[in-house]
Amino acid sequence: MEAKEIARKLNKAFPDAALEAELDARGILTIRGECAGWEELVKIGRRAAKLPGVKNVVNELSAKGVSVPRKDYAALRAKGEAAGTIDEADVVIVGAGISGCGVARELAKYRWKIVVVEAADDVAMGATKANNGNIHPGHAVKSGTLKAKLNVEGNRLYDKWAEELDFELQRCGAMGFVTSRPLGAALKYSYRQAKRNGVAGVELVDAERAMELEPGLAKNGLGPRIKLALWLPSMGLVEPYQVALALAENAAQNGVRFLFNATVAGVIVENGAVAGVVTEKGVVRARYVVNCAGLYADEISAMAGDKGYTIHARRGVIAILDKAAQPEYRTLCERITFREVRRALEHSETKGGGMCRTPEGNVLMGPSALEIPDKEDLSTTPEELQYAMGRGDDTVSYANIIRFFAGNRPADYKEDFIIEMSPVTDGFVNVGAIQSPGLAAAPAVARMVEGIVTEHAAKTGRPAEIRADWNPLRRRRPEFRHMSRAEQDALIRENPAYGKIVCRCECVTEGEILDALRSPVPPGSVDAVKRRTRAGMGRCQGGFCQPRVLEIMARELGRKRTEVTLKGEGTEVLLRRNRGEEAGE
Amino acid sequence: MKRVSVDVAVVGAGPAGLAAALEARRSGAKRVLLIERDAELGGILQQCIHDGFGLHRFGRRMSGNQYAQAFIDEVEASGVEVRLGTMALEVTGARVIYACSKSEGMLEIEAGAVILAMGCRERTANQVLICGDRPAGVLTAGAVQRYVNMEGYLPGSRAVILGSGDIGLIMARRMTLEGIEVKAVYEVMPAPGGLTRNIVQCLDEFNIPLHLSTTVTRVNGRKRVESVAVARVDKNLKPIPGTEETVGCDLLVLAVGLIPENELSRGAGVALDPRTKGPVLDDVFMTSVPGVFACGNVAVVFDLVDYVSQSGEIAARGAVDFIAGGLCRQPQYVPVEAGENVNFVVPQRLRHGCAGARLFLRVKKPLREAVLTCESGGRMLMQKSLRHLAPPEMIAFDLAGRIGDAPVAVSIREVTRE
Repeated sequence: MEAKEIARKLNKAFPDAALEAELDARGILTIRGECAGWEELVKIGRRAAKLPGVKNVVNELSAKGVSVPRKDYAALRAKGEAAGTIDEADVVIVGAGISGCGVARELAKYRWKIVVVEAADDVAMGATKANNGNIHPGHAVKSGTLKAKLNVEGNRLYDKWAEELDFELQRCGAMGFVTSRPLGAALKYSYRQAKRNGVAGVELVDAERAMELEPGLAKNGLGPRIKLALWLPSMGLVEPYQVALALAENAAQNGVRFLFNATVAGVIVENGAVAGVVTEKGVVRARYVVNCAGLYADEISAMAGDKGYTIHARRGVIAILDKAAQPEYRTLCERITFREVRRALEHSETKGGGMCRTPEGNVLMGPSALEIPDKEDLSTTPEELQYAMGRGDDTVSYANIIRFFAGNRPADYKEDFIIEMSPVTDGFVNVGAIQSPGLAAAPAVARMVEGIVTEHAAKTGRPAEIRADWNPLRRRRPEFRHMSRAEQDALIRENPAYGKIVCRCECVTEGEILDALRSPVPPGSVDAVKRRTRAGMGRCQGGFCQPRVLEIMARELGRKRTEVTLKGEGTEVLLRRNRGEEAGE
Repeated sequence: MKRVSVDVAVVGAGPAGLAAALEARRSGAKRVLLIERDAELGGILQQCIHDGFGLHRFGRRMSGNQYAQAFIDEVEASGVEVRLGTMALEVTGARVIYACSKSEGMLEIEAGAVILAMGCRERTANQVLICGDRPAGVLTAGAVQRYVNMEGYLPGSRAVILGSGDIGLIMARRMTLEGIEVKAVYEVMPAPGGLTRNIVQCLDEFNIPLHLSTTVTRVNGRKRVESVAVARVDKNLKPIPGTEETVGCDLLVLAVGLIPENELSRGAGVALDPRTKGPVLDDVFMTSVPGVFACGNVAVVFDLVDYVSQSGEIAARGAVDFIAGGLCRQPQYVPVEAGENVNFVVPQRLRHGCAGARLFLRVKKPLREAVLTCESGGRMLMQKSLRHLAPPEMIAFDLAGRIGDAPVAVSIREVTRE
């Protein structure tokens, strides 16, 4: 379809908007003009992406009354250029989320110098952190997409990751069941899609088998009413930030360097090939730049001269419940109702997640799904919280909430992953639009990128060589709370720091906090310690342990207490000393 | 693993635990062990440097530290065995405590009787469903109190306080004295949550406004708190659209309630009362698990420390009776029913034939003049006139006389004058 025809179609479908369209040889459609609001802007992008001949959409529409904040790249770039070249590498990876950490860890096996640059102060700070931790089987993704392929592959590869990197992976399995015969069609549809996508072990089962697989169904009386159930044994659960940390630590063990608080403000391109990045901290030169920048992947790609997609933020609110509210099911088990089916049909890409649990045993509700203009807006609203909480059963109570938060998914308009060597800028690899099921797909994404980069290296006469000293293994540090009393006793005798409980809700010891502070990718803030140790993650939310964690951090890192932050620069917990004590600091 | 055997083990050395350990010794228990996770005795009283403690017990105004010290001195002279830096990880229904410390590793403590005195924790911004951003500068009042009073640091310059419970009021004054500008105290309920004397001494004297039926709905600020949105609430405590206002501040202090810390109790199989969120107790403050007692704020959130100490002493005498075989292991109980205007009564049940008990209750709503009655099986056990009752102020009284086998109903009838 021609650009003019596309513009005509879109203008007809959205009479309130005034649109222009431009289509390049690659099939990248750029839309400009104005529309009524943010919701419509997203709808137009999505509609346009479905038109024949459109590979992806660059959405440059403005929405009436909506101002979209932009990062001041010019200032950051000037700052970085003034600092000059601070590092030279073979590969720079932009972004330390699950994708960036996964790629770093895969590429670390080669004799390459690798630098990961990250805008935030820690790994997993974007979509990865605010994820429900489901390792999806791959039944819910449209067949034939890259997403479907990498989801199924990634799910399968997780056992190897979990074994080598020693993070908690629970293959709990998932079951969707219906208690009304006509709804069985929805399950059969999912079953056929799962089969097409190559999902391992998928089965349609009857009530009796369903109750065998999920004993909770017999207990709550729903079991005998089941007409049909879909069983997906490959569903898994992880703590997503722990996976990213495990990857980052293993990468660091193998020589990968992490540069935090370093927003990329420019990509250096010389003679049509990438030559490095300008971060706010200085220039890092490299032969390859892998763009795993999540919400900002489109902006980084544009900096490299390849404007091929637009990322829009889809916010999700998640609520975590007290461990005292025990999950009803051992598996992830959900009754599919008419309401659920209708919701899925109406919001094919955006319905969000339901009720599940974390590997530590907290019930997790959500995420919700809301399109928002500001990529940095991680605020929560009562409506989104209600949406997240509304997808559970009667056992879910607001009184059990211990924490709720939001994350933004980096969605493009094609709703598929974008993983390719840029056809515009050689050596620049896009890993874009990695949202759900990006966590499940991560091992396959990392492998795919490894293939792209090493093939290119081989073709250009500088083949990658495996390092003789590559160590794929990373061991988890002691977790006091999971040990038997005898093991705990032995651990304390070995090192008394494990005998002091700092976080009483989650039973985290001083020894574990010290271990984290001395780990290969050390935490720099109170929240970063929390993600590594769980200190402050429990029901009192750090009310008791935050002052103690802060004190340990100040001591260990040689900082003043007023310099310890909650979550990076500008978030200092303590501002100044009391009256009359200023002299002490 | 080191094994220890004691007569009475007390978990937690705040005011309840200190009083319990001391009273257990006084009542004749030989080996009394007091376990405390902190490096010092006193619990949360260590950070309570304001006065107003001990009016009932000592007849004078003391700071929290002074009040605690009075007990600490006695505990140290009493022969109570104290283990500091020792955290109880588990209490079993068979009265075995697992606790660990840096110096001793894991301890397995076998106790003739266990007294739970772990205190309470504060509700957080998340638990009261405040939406918006999640920046630095949102803290509970107790955490602010610790930072300011014990560590000597200030977490903000301009504060808004949500909740007019006593800790919130005390912190309003404390922060003001330290040069933090306290913009206002907001209270979702139509009446203040703290004691009247604290409203007067901590807010009125410093011209800090108190806004009732108003709550914080949203936090703004991506890195540090920049402002909060506040709104009036309707009868159902729901924000009224159109009443929202933005208040600039860099610190939001939450004083929105205390929850008894009953995680260890739950592990021991202790039955909890959904109303008090503490164990179901009898007249000697024994829980549903024989030989396991509870006192202080883990039993029920008290308003005055004097009552906390009293509850520790009641539990201790019960514990000593228990190990001496003086308590029936499977007692018959009569329930204590919360009647008209009564929110709850602790203890929740009494043993058949017990010779009275000390009862603690809270009223549902403010009452100017009222009559407290306790009835059982059509018999009036006691009757007492009371004035100026309010939900934040606990009412403690002794019920004398032998308890029969009929439920005891406690009611408070309002007296209206023509």
